Amino acid sequence: MAASSAAGRVLTLCRQLQNVCRISSTSHFVNVTKGQNPVYRGMSPLVSLSWCSSLGQCRALHTTTSRRGLEEFFDHPNNWGETNVKSGAPWSAKQLRAKSSEDLHKLWYVLLKEKNMLLTIEQEAKRQRVQMPSPERIRKIERSMFRLETVVSERETALRLLQTGQTKGRPGAWRRNTFGYVYWYRFKEYAIPWYMNRRYKRKKFYTPKFVQPYIRLRIEKYIREKARKENLKKKAQAKLKERFPDMKVSSS
Amino acid sequence: IYPLYQLGNPQLRIFRPNWFLTLVRPGKEQPPDTVQFRIPMEMTKYDVKNYLEKIYNVPVGDIRTRIQYGSNKKRNHLNQRVKQPDYKVAYVQLAQGQTFTFPNIFPEKDRAPAEGSLEEMQEKFMEDEKQRQKLDPRRGGVTEWFGL
Repeated sequence: MAASSAAGRVLTLCRQLQNVCRISSTSHFVNVTKGQNPVYRGMSPLVSLSWCSSLGQCRALHTTTSRRGLEEFFDHPNNWGETNVKSGAPWSAKQLRAKSSEDLHKLWYVLLKEKNMLLTIEQEAKRQRVQMPSPERIRKIERSMFRLETVVSERETALRLLQTGQTKGRPGAWRRNTFGYVYWYRFKEYAIPWYMNRRYKRKKFYTPKFVQPYIRLRIEKYIREKARKENLKKKAQAKLKERFPDMKVSSS
Repeated sequence: IYPLYQLGNPQLRIFRPNWFLTLVRPGKEQPPDTVQFRIPMEMTKYDVKNYLEKIYNVPVGDIRTRIQYGSNKKRNHLNQRVKQPDYKVAYVQLAQGQTFTFPNIFPEKDRAPAEGSLEEMQEKFMEDEKQRQKLDPRRGGVTEWFGL
């Protein structure tokens, strides 16, 4: 069942295997850099095909070149016209952390294709003025993809910290803008140095002196709001205390 | 946000692309090999071509894109204009003489509810309610307004 766990939880068993067979044959050509391990490339389609034939539950791999790709934008033909399509739980971050980077990479594309399929169904349902079957699948996929992204970025930051000592991939700096706010300015790559960049020079990374009164007004407003909130809380507590003298005061 | 390209730089590769394509039924009649997609605004023709070829293994010939302006005319209950989002449409022509027709994804299915299930009870209840609303069939379609 390693194959089915590697594929999306959302798919049924047959579709999982079918997709794994397809994806393991296509994912090799996706973003393969020169340093890829050739042993793995030869292994995976064979392994998946043997799983396919051994279980005997999935359909035979058809090898026609007609619209096989575009059929993946639609659900299994058995599910057309249903009002409810069953789907499993979304991937949690804990489960994703247990997977290898290869598996996560493949899973991303499985989720991507699934989401494309769901979006096409949603749009077609709007067109035909019919309810989409089980719209919660889209939300599940979105959450799974978000968690996958966080897990992958965690691993990347860990690697980067070990190799270079930097936490962030993109360099930046704390800068002050014209309104007096200090924010994290992220650097952008340019072909020319900053002193030759006219648009960059027009951007002011300091606060002019005439802005100071407005900053003061802003601070006063903020303090006033805070004081008002505190006051409101105290008054509410006092009122409750008056009505219920034996009440325990909650410490915020 | 992408690294700058200058002559001799390595090819930019995007791992785990965050772009989703939506296949739509064409509003106007299209040639048989044309597929219509809604794509995010940031994608280009080359992006769509590589996306379909690498991820879906679909041979792509010609691609044409356009940006559809989402209307800003409708107003809500506060008389504020509500903007419908803009989107990019791509017309993809398949290579190698393949054709594609948009299938009917919502065919009418005769659904007999399973015995003893909640759906069956609900349907029975709805039918009874409708029967109660109907007038006496002996009146021959005449409404209750007419006395007798």
